[in-house]
Amino acid sequence: MSVPRARLLDLMKAQCQLFSTTFNPEGLRLGNKVLRKRLLGPSFVSYYPPKLVTHKDMLREFAPFELTIDNQKEDMRRDHIAGLKFRGKSAPKKIRTAPDANAKKKKK
Amino acid sequence: MSMFRAKKLDIGCYYNAFIIRDHSKRKAVAAAEPERQALRYIIRNETLPARTRAIAQLQLTQMHAYTRPTQIRNRCTMGGKGRGVLRDFKMSRFMFRMNALSGNIPGVKKASW
Repeated sequence: MSVPRARLLDLMKAQCQLFSTTFNPEGLRLGNKVLRKRLLGPSFVSYYPPKLVTHKDMLREFAPFELTIDNQKEDMRRDHIAGLKFRGKSAPKKIRTAPDANAKKKKK
Repeated sequence: MSMFRAKKLDIGCYYNAFIIRDHSKRKAVAAAEPERQALRYIIRNETLPARTRAIAQLQLTQMHAYTRPTQIRNRCTMGGKGRGVLRDFKMSRFMFRMNALSGNIPGVKKASW
């Protein structure tokens, strides 16, 4: 028992409507396989973890409200620099005057 | 390419120049993906006129290299290495070994029989 082709095509059409696929009985190359694929961009972008809030960010956010938190590391650094200054070992002061024209020339 | 690079660092893991570059590429690929897919669709659709398809081919080849998904490489998120990276853990083989042995990766245990 054979089924007429027209009837089979009707069935195919109904199938395509139902499952929202492209009705293409001739098997033409319509490039639909490109559109069927999901977009990969979001998964590419999320490979590296996003930047989270750091201690520094918190301090900066709460600075206007004068909510300060002890930062032991920073305090220690300042103490260290103060110690160096006391002993005269800190960085030299920046020269505010314009540099001499002759000073740039190096000895040969 | 500096125009793709974020003005402010937006990665929370270990980073170096390679990782920042790879991340910029990832964002460029994600932004240009719909356009690329549309061009690819036009190129592959044989019912469209040949001229349209040829123009689409040219446009696709003239897009920036950073928008090409093959430019992306999975790098180690803890050391930045580009080779020997385990996809499941986003870590290079040595980083994976060190972290697994110290028990930082849940569910991973050294096999012994």
